[in-house]
Parts: sequence; C-alpha cells; structure tokens
Amino acid sequence: MKQYTICVFTENSIGLLNKITVIFTRRRINIDSLTVSETVRKGVSRFTIVIKHEKREEVEKLVRQIRKIVEVLAVFGYLNDEIVYNEIALFKVSTPLGGKPLDIETINRIHKAWVVYWGLDYVIIEKTGIEEEIFEFFKYLKPHGIIEFVRSGRVAVGKTTQGLVEYLPEEQEWEYYL
Amino acid sequence: MSKEIAFMEEEIKIEEVKFLSGGQALMECFVAENVDTIFGYPGGAIMPIYDALYDYTDRINHILVRHEQGASHAAEGYARSSGRVGVCMATSGPGATNLVTGIADAIIDCTPMVAITGQVASNLLGTDAFQETDVIGITTPICKWNYQITDPDEIPMILAKAFYIAKAGKPGPVLIDITKDAQVKSLTKPFEYKKIEGLPGYHPRRVPKIDQVEKAAEMINKAKRPYILFGHGVIISEAMEEFQAFVEKTDIPCASTLLGISGISIDHPNYMGWLGMHGMYAPNVMTDQCDVLIAIGMRFDDRVTGDAKLFAKQATIVHIEIDPAEIDKIKKAEGPVVGDVKETLKLLMPLVKKKDFTAWKNEFRKLEPEEKAKVSDRDFREEGKIKMAEVVKMVSDKTKGEACVVVDVGQHQMVTARYFEFKRHNSYIASGGLGTMGFAIPAALGAKMGAPDRDVIAFIGDGCFQMTIQELGTIAQSKLPVKLIILNNNYLGMVRQWQQLFFEKRYSFVELQNPDFIMIAKGFGLDGAKIEEREGLSDAIDKMLNHDGGYVLEVVVEKEENVFPMVPAGRSVSEIRLE
Repeated sequence: MKQYTICVFTENSIGLLNKITVIFTRRRINIDSLTVSETVRKGVSRFTIVIKHEKREEVEKLVRQIRKIVEVLAVFGYLNDEIVYNEIALFKVSTPLGGKPLDIETINRIHKAWVVYWGLDYVIIEKTGIEEEIFEFFKYLKPHGIIEFVRSGRVAVGKTTQGLVEYLPEEQEWEYYL
Repeated sequence: MSKEIAFMEEEIKIEEVKFLSGGQALMECFVAENVDTIFGYPGGAIMPIYDALYDYTDRINHILVRHEQGASHAAEGYARSSGRVGVCMATSGPGATNLVTGIADAIIDCTPMVAITGQVASNLLGTDAFQETDVIGITTPICKWNYQITDPDEIPMILAKAFYIAKAGKPGPVLIDITKDAQVKSLTKPFEYKKIEGLPGYHPRRVPKIDQVEKAAEMINKAKRPYILFGHGVIISEAMEEFQAFVEKTDIPCASTLLGISGISIDHPNYMGWLGMHGMYAPNVMTDQCDVLIAIGMRFDDRVTGDAKLFAKQATIVHIEIDPAEIDKIKKAEGPVVGDVKETLKLLMPLVKKKDFTAWKNEFRKLEPEEKAKVSDRDFREEGKIKMAEVVKMVSDKTKGEACVVVDVGQHQMVTARYFEFKRHNSYIASGGLGTMGFAIPAALGAKMGAPDRDVIAFIGDGCFQMTIQELGTIAQSKLPVKLIILNNNYLGMVRQWQQLFFEKRYSFVELQNPDFIMIAKGFGLDGAKIEEREGLSDAIDKMLNHDGGYVLEVVVEKEENVFPMVPAGRSVSEIRLE
C-alpha cells in the first residue's frame, strides 16, 4: 500500500465536498486525511486528500473520475517523493504541580515544537512536520500524559517549478487576493 | 411644476415594473431552449411552477404521467428518439425520489436530461418539513450535475448551465432543485437568457488531438485482422454517415454493443451483428481472433466483455471515446483518441487506407450457419406455443424494419435485438446499462413525443409491463398512437433462465399470476387484443399496426424458452453457449 496525495482544485460551491467524497465511497477507498482551503484565486478551493492504495492505475482512474465533476477545475495525483508536505498537530500535555517537568530544550531543538499556550496545569504544544515526526513527538510526550491530541491533515505542494494554479483553466478572468 | 409631475409619473412607472416570478422565468428558460415537451407530475412544492406553466401551454406541451418514474423514463425516451434534452418535473420529497430510477438510468446510458424538482421553501430547508428530502444529496452520485436554486435571479444562468451540461460531451442527467420561495418571488432584474457554450471546469474535447488520430490511423492501417466494435456513441454524436463511410473505406468488419444497434443498417455487408452476453456468436468469438480492436463510442461494459482480462487479450486496442475517464478504465488502449466520434471519424477518414478484407470478413460469416442451426432455427420452430422470435420477426417484416423499437429488460429485450431487422438509424431504445424493468411503457410514449412521425413499437415482458402499467393512462390521455406488445410467458423469464442454468432449476419467485392485460388496457381507454394461437398472430399484428391510436397486443408465448447464445456472467467469450 502506497500513500498518494490528490490535490483537487474546485469552484467553491455548496455540496462539493460530498460530490468528491462519493467518488471515494463508491470505490471503497478510505480517506486518510483531507484539508480544504481557498487558494489565492477567489472562489477557487484546494482539496488535499491523502489515501493509501495498492495499484497506481486505480488511483489514476480515481483522479479521472474526480476530474469529471463539473465544478472541478483540475486534479493532480502524487506519490510522496513528488511533493513537499506537512501537517500540524496540537498536544495538550498535563503539567501538574510536582510532576515531571517538560524538557523545553528537547522539545524546541530536537522536535522543533513550540509551546503556544500555558494553562494552570497543562500546556499546549504545536508541532509541524510529516506524520512520522509527529508520531515520534507523540511517543516522546506520552509519558507526560497527553490530555488531547489533534492532527490537521496534510497540506502539500508539488516539487515542479510551476505552481499548480498555472494549470487552471484560463477561460475566465480570475480575481486574485494577492 | 410640470417637470416635477413628469418626474413623479416616471417614478410611479418604475414602481409598476414587475419582473418575472421564478416560475415564469423557468418557463422562459424552457422557451429559450426550445423545449417543446415536458413530462411531469405536480405537487405541493412545485405548484408555483405549474401555475406559471398554465400560461405557457401554447408553447410547451406538458404530458401528465401517472408516476414520476414514468416522467423520467419518458424524458429518456424523448431524448433518445429526438437527440434533444428530455425534460421532466416533479415535486419535492416522494415526487423527487420517484424520479431517481430514471435519472440513474440516464447517467449510465448517457441520455441528456434536465429534471426539475420542487423543494420546500428555503427557510424550511433542513427542518424535516413536509415532503422535504435532500434531493441534492440523493442524486449527487447519479447526476452529471445538480444544483439547488434558492434565489430566483439564479434561474436563467443555472438553467443555461443545466442544458449545456446535459447535452455537452458525454450527455447525462442534470437535476435542478428549486425551493418554493424561489419559484414565487420575482426576479430583481429583467429576464435575460444567455446560452452557455463552455464552463471553466467543463469543456469536453470534441475535436481530438491530431497526434492521437495519427497514431490510431497507423494502427488501423497496419492491422491484418482489424475489428470494429461500436457503441451508443455513434448514435449520440449522430455520426452514422461518417461511420458507414469509414467502414466502407477500410472494409473492416464491425459489430455493435446492445445500445449501438441501429447505428448502421443491418443489411450492411460489413455489419456482423451485435455482441455481448446474449449477443451473436461470430461477433463474440471473433474478439479472440482480431489483431487490432477499434472501439468506437463504447465503454467495454462487463455485459460486453465477460471476463475483461481475457477479452480480446491478443489484440491492441484503438479506443475512440469522448470521456477521458473511460480510456483504460476496463481495457488498456494502445491508441486512445479522446474526442467526439463524428469529429474523430472526419479526421481519421483521410488518414486510413482503402482496403479489402473479404477473406477476413468471411471468417465471421463462416460461423453463422452453426448459430443458425443451433439457435435461430430453434427460436423459430413452429411447434407448441408462439415463440418470441416469431413475433419480433413478423413485426419487423410488417414494418420493413423501419419502426422505432422500444424494449424493456429481459429475454424479450435480447430476442428483439436478435431478430428485429433494423434498417433505420437510432431505432433500438433500451435500458442497457441499468437494466431497468418498467422502462418501456413510459420510454415508448416519450419516444413517440420525440419522433412523432415514426411508428413507435414497444416489446415488453409480462413482468416489466406491470412495473409501470399505470402509464397506459398517460398514453390514453395524451392520445399517443404507441403500440405495446406484451410477450407473455408468465415468468420473469431471464431470471428463470438463470435459475434453470445456474441454480439447478430452483425457480425461486419467478412465476407470475398475471392480470387480464387487455381488460386493464381497455379500462384505461386503450384498445387491445390477446393472441394465443399462431394462426391469429399475423392478422392481430396487422390490426395493431393499422389501429389509429394506442394499442396493447398481448401474445402468449412459450413459457420456458431460453435466450442463446449466452456468455455466462464473468466468463470469457470463448465459453459462449449456443444451447
């Protein structure tokens, strides 16, 4: 099973998430993570969907099916070595009075993570990285007692020179934020 | 002073300008798209639209069906016979869910359709209001596109999009759900309808890339034993003339899929018949003999290929198809050409060489006597009860193969495909991909509306007939001269055949206690007759064909006939059974 990252550019309209996910559902493909946000072009959303699959051809077929959705402007599928990707995680770690203190130096320097909030007897630590790095950090923090843990899902950019937005249809005037 | 009065009058005048209501705007959209026929059924949440329709009956012919499923199948029949977009309407909730079967049928058979559904007022959405259903959610997987309108100002633009999407590229169904308040409220600006020719996310390639065409031409020119399989795409893109010219220039033998039937005249010397699970012998087995398979406007359905891995495994494939998602989906194509069939054939024509494949064609013809002896002669044996094949052949002869034939799903569908001698293009209207029982009665009435000057004749099984029997009322009320032939074997024949062949004759719930069909037809106001003996058959068919108006002819046929040839499901075409 290989990991694939599928980037979908769409018009931003109601119900589009459903239109995309039914294509996965129908083929019994589980979505590992999904993030959506608006691109620099107004009204254009970018979905980043991570799945695992055994066959590359099946993923290619899936990409073509997604492309069939009328509001979808472009779809790109990647293997992990073709992209730079990251996700963000937040850890709520208990720091009770008299408990083992957190080693902030290891957290900062080794794990490149930062405390972003101090509660009375807990802290919230933010860590960005790939899944493996986040799990590594999870293991490191576990003895301290993790009260809550959340990961964001992947964001990714291709390693090509061009930006993906360049591939979007040019038939209409796009309005840019920047 | 006078100036001031004039100014005030002008103000009053502006106040008086009332723009169209959402319902009226919808009607204007239909007029702008030259929609002449709508199949529908009114109800609570679509009443403002029906109220607007009341003033448009001089321009739009509304056919009141008896069940919304009938509306969606009738729209399909209309679209298939006319090549135009079929339109159906239903109210919210149950009305909309009843359309679903026809919508699913339309997407898989690439039928252009616009379905309009009423919806509860926008302030009630998501409150489980009376007759509220999430129609957008339900139909998302089976629509080419769907959209919910809550603002009447959106109506012209969305309808233009709907008609464009339904027809462009690979056609399909589009559903537009309109909330009741959007139907009632007025537009805030004058109605303006601009037809759409393309969308940022949807601009199907009609004219293929020239390098793909050149590659295909090269493969075709080099082939020693080329074989064309063509499908519905030839008919959808109205490429029949170009296709025939292509076949004649290259002299390549061709066979069709079920829905490709009547894409070329049955008399054509290069036409070998149709293939698939119950298709003809030579077209099926020769897929194992060709070196280049040229697939035109077809999608390698499993009912065509059997076991897809074994299908034409020795051949390289040229695949001409408008939907890029179909390329390599089932069979890897060495020569893919993404484009409209008509446009592609126009480009391909000058690149292919004129050839003579007489010897290769004869290899197909050599297989025909075996099929005739084992299958056709058996299907026509004049002993015992009337055989389905006899009825089909007789109707075919009497109409000179010119009729527009609508079929339902099952044994009669296959027998009609085998024995009706289609001379005219686009004459076999069937539910192919979805296999929807109950398709034929409403599709036939829709087909008649779409092609009023053609004879529309439907062959329907006794099981299928009872699934949409209520549409006899629609045929009667709309005075449509549609001829319906029930081939009654008192069984769900195809299921019974499978039970006989693959389930040790364990006939599990396939025998029907049928009603008196003719009494029912007469109850609906249609004339009809029942025939049990061979002697009366010819006269009965004449009477039906000459009858002025809708007619039901029930023919009692042999109870336990089987349809052959048959490629058992999921097996290789080489395992085809002739008996």
